[in-house]
Order: sequence, then structure tokens, then C-alpha cells
Amino acid sequence: MAYVAGIDIGSAFSKAVIMAKSGVIAYEVVPSGGNYKITAEQVIEEALTKAEISLKDIAYTVATGYGATSVSFSSETASDISCLARGVYYLFPNARTIIDIGGQFTRVFKLNDRGKATAFLLSEKCAAGSGRFLQVIARVLQIDLEDIGELSLKSKKRVDFNTGCAVFAESEAVSRVAEGAAREDILAGLHRTLAAKIQTMVARLGIEPDCAVVGGGAKDMGLVKSIEKGLGCKLMLPEEPRIVTALGAALVAWEKVSKGG
Amino acid sequence: MKRQYFAGVDIGSTMTKVVIMDGSTLAAVIGPTGPEHRKLANRVMEEALDKAKLAFDEITYLVATGYGRINVPFADKQITEISCHARGVGHLLPAARTVIDIGGQDSKGIKLKAGRAVDFVMNDKCAAGTGRFLEVTAEELGVSLEDMGRLSLEAKNRVEISNTCTVFAAQEVVARLSDGVALPDIIAGLHEAIATRVYGMVRRLKIEREVALTGGGAKNIGLVKAMEAKLGFPVLVPPEPLLTGAIGAALLGKDLVEKAAEKGETLKTSPRRLTEASLFT
Repeated sequence: MAYVAGIDIGSAFSKAVIMAKSGVIAYEVVPSGGNYKITAEQVIEEALTKAEISLKDIAYTVATGYGATSVSFSSETASDISCLARGVYYLFPNARTIIDIGGQFTRVFKLNDRGKATAFLLSEKCAAGSGRFLQVIARVLQIDLEDIGELSLKSKKRVDFNTGCAVFAESEAVSRVAEGAAREDILAGLHRTLAAKIQTMVARLGIEPDCAVVGGGAKDMGLVKSIEKGLGCKLMLPEEPRIVTALGAALVAWEKVSKGG
Repeated sequence: MKRQYFAGVDIGSTMTKVVIMDGSTLAAVIGPTGPEHRKLANRVMEEALDKAKLAFDEITYLVATGYGRINVPFADKQITEISCHARGVGHLLPAARTVIDIGGQDSKGIKLKAGRAVDFVMNDKCAAGTGRFLEVTAEELGVSLEDMGRLSLEAKNRVEISNTCTVFAAQEVVARLSDGVALPDIIAGLHEAIATRVYGMVRRLKIEREVALTGGGAKNIGLVKAMEAKLGFPVLVPPEPLLTGAIGAALLGKDLVEKAAEKGETLKTSPRRLTEASLFT
């Protein structure tokens, strides 16, 4: 039986997906750390353990993402844009607009009916539109990134931020905490700011349904709901939104293997 | 005639400045603003009065300026920092035609004509190009803000900081450190990044000589040199670059009082009571 793997080394997290003919059989997500080469080995090792196979069982590996070239065991590298488009098309063939909220930046894509990315926007210049904003504020409020979404949904009285800048928002959050504002209300305000930034990007590209949201930021339900409210439409959300690019890489690998026979 | 004294209170995002003047500066106090100090302008005022050996009711007129100017309940009038900076610089450095102010959380450029602001540009939306950029990156480097200027002068091979965003630049700085790049080379790169950003904004005003550099940024010799390199000529720096706004506020108060006197009017003043600002009503 043939197996393939997709590895996505992102700035914050690294992901591995192992596929067989039947579909995804295992995946893993680990923090990226400073050494991408070691991280890549670690994430594939853990995914292989889950799949109960070994690296020699993998016929083809496609690496993608920020640290793709550091993956020593890959058969080839592919652009993360094409892998992401591939992954989304596999999960949601009707998706035409994709919002990818990553650790370092947010991207908005348009896909055509064959799953090809036709246009995209990137927020790379500024942390305000990215998951980094969430990390900065989570640190101030002393909560885990994973708990932000759920906590924010309990907000009764949103505290709005006066700034879009992640650095200034950090001091604003400190002031609001000192003044006794509830953490969930601060988080709700933070989500609004971040969502507004993302909405602007979506509007610039022109929204076309269906719309899907992926990346680490999509695990934050508070943020997803805030974007949905702002855009006025429901967003499609994968079960594990962080592995969509790695899944796309695995699909590219699968195609190579089946074409090659 | 009774001697007249004028006070200027400048509540910046980072520092609170108070000056008391008759014709020249009698007393000046600079204290941190901080989140909890926003309502404590009264404390800094009290200290300045002590220094000048004056009672509060001897102050003829008091003008508040800066981003926290509404938090000065005992002020007779609030005036924008643009007008106050212009007046202060016009007084201290009459040759100046352009002011570049690099503050703790904003940066601005002001065009002057006869000591008055005729045009300005400002960035308070983004930490890049402000003192905050340097504060955040200095912390990553483990260097105190005061040492940044001096250290940067030892740079041999300035590093280019490719990120504009403060958050990303802070990460970049850590990466450069672990690459083994010398500290002065990184700091010089940070000054260059701020200078590029500020110059890019201020040049929209059509910069005219002389240029005065004010705000906390003007106390950083490395940043002053980086700005001069961008401009292609030397800048003027007032003796205490943090005080120009407060001095301008005091002088504008004096102008108002003199103008009123000419017309035979007296200006309304607030009760001379040093009270805390209440931030929530």
C-alpha cells in the first residue's frame, strides 16, 4: 500500500499530513521552534507513529511553507499558495474566497471553479492583521492562545480598541486590565479590530461565496464569529484548519505517485 | 503691576512635562505619564510649583497640551500639541522652518511660518517610526533606551532591518543577534529604519531649513545622526527637546493674556485647585 506525506513548515507551527488512497490517515501539528530541519523531522516522526508506519513506507513527500527548503527528507517543494488552494478545493470544492489567518500574516485568496488561485492579498507588512496580534494580547492577558476563542464568546460588554497597531494595542490592553475591564470583553474588542482588518482585505479582493476560513486563526471561534458578523455570511471551517496547506502538499504528492504509477 | 507667571502642561503618551515661565523658564519638571499617571498631572504641577517657589494662585494662566490634555482639570485652556510645539520651537530656535518631533508613541512634522504652524503631518496609528519602535526593539536586545544612541555610533557595518512593523522587527532583531551580528550594527539599523520612516512622512511637507528635531527621539544621538544623513544637512536640537510643547503652551497662554489685556478684557481661569483628573465619568 502506498503512502504519501505533505509537510508545511510555517513560521509558528509545522504540520504533517500522511495520506493513503483512502484519504488522510494521520496528521500532526507542532510548534516550529528555531530549527526547521529538526522540527520537520519531529513532526513527520510523530505523524508516522500515529499512522503506525515508518518513513520508508512514504513513497513521496512534498514540503511547503516558510521553511520548506529545510525539510531534508522531501521529494520536492511546492509553493504554499498552490498547496493551500489544493487543500481547500479538496475539502470545499465550492469555496471561491479563502481567508487564511496565519501566525505571521493573513492572506485572502480567490479560487476558480477548478480550484486554482486566481488572486490574492497578503498582510505581510503589519502584525495587526495576523495571528501575531492574538499572541501579543494573549500574553498581556496571561491566557493560552487556545482559550481565547471560548472566553471571548462570554463577553457581555465589548471593549473597543482605539488603535489598529499590535504594539499600541498591547499597551491599551494593559491599561484596560488596570482599569478593571474583564478579559473576555477585551478579547471581544481585539477580535473586532482583527476582523475589521481582515474584512478590509476581503472587500478589496471582492467577496464571492462560498467563503472558507483556514489557518491557526480559524481555531479561534470568537474571531471566526466576528468575521462572519462583519462579512454578513457564514464561513466554512475545516475540522482542523491548521493542516489545510499540508493536506494540499500531500495531495500534490499523491498525484505524483499515481501519475508515476 | 503684579508679576505674571505662565504654566504649560504637556501630557504626552510617555512623559508628562510641566514648565513655569515668566519671560524665561523658571522651573521645568519631566515625569512619566504611564497608564496610572494619566490622572496625576496635579502631582507634576505641584513639583514644578515647589521648584519655582510659587503658590498655585500666583499662576496667571495655565495651558494644557499633548494627547492627555483633557486630563488636566485645573487648566484654563487646552491647545493642540501642534500649535504648542510650533510656538515653543519658534521661541527657542527662531531660525527653524520645519519641526520633526519623534515622540514616545507618535511622530510628526510641522511647517513653521513666523513661529506659527502652517501645515503638519502626523503618525500616531502605527508604532513604526516612533519611540515605541526603539523601546520594543531595545528590550529585545537587552539594551537600555538611553544607551542606544551611544552604542550605535560604534557601528562598523550597519544591518538593514527589512521589517517595517515593530512586532516583526523585534523578531528580526533577535534573529540577527543569533546570527552573531554585532550589537552596534543592529542598533544603527534600527535608527536607520526609524529615520527612513519619519523622513518618508515629513518630506510630504516640503522640508525647509532650518530643521529642528524635538521629542525624546532628539535625545538619541544615533537617531539624530541618522536623520541628518537622510536630510543631508545638520539639524537644530533644543537644549531640552522634551520641553518644547510645554514651553509653547506656556507662551501661548502668555500671548492670550497679553492680547486680552490690550482689549481691556480679563480671561476666565479655572479654580486654582490641584485635583486629580477623573478618567471615567
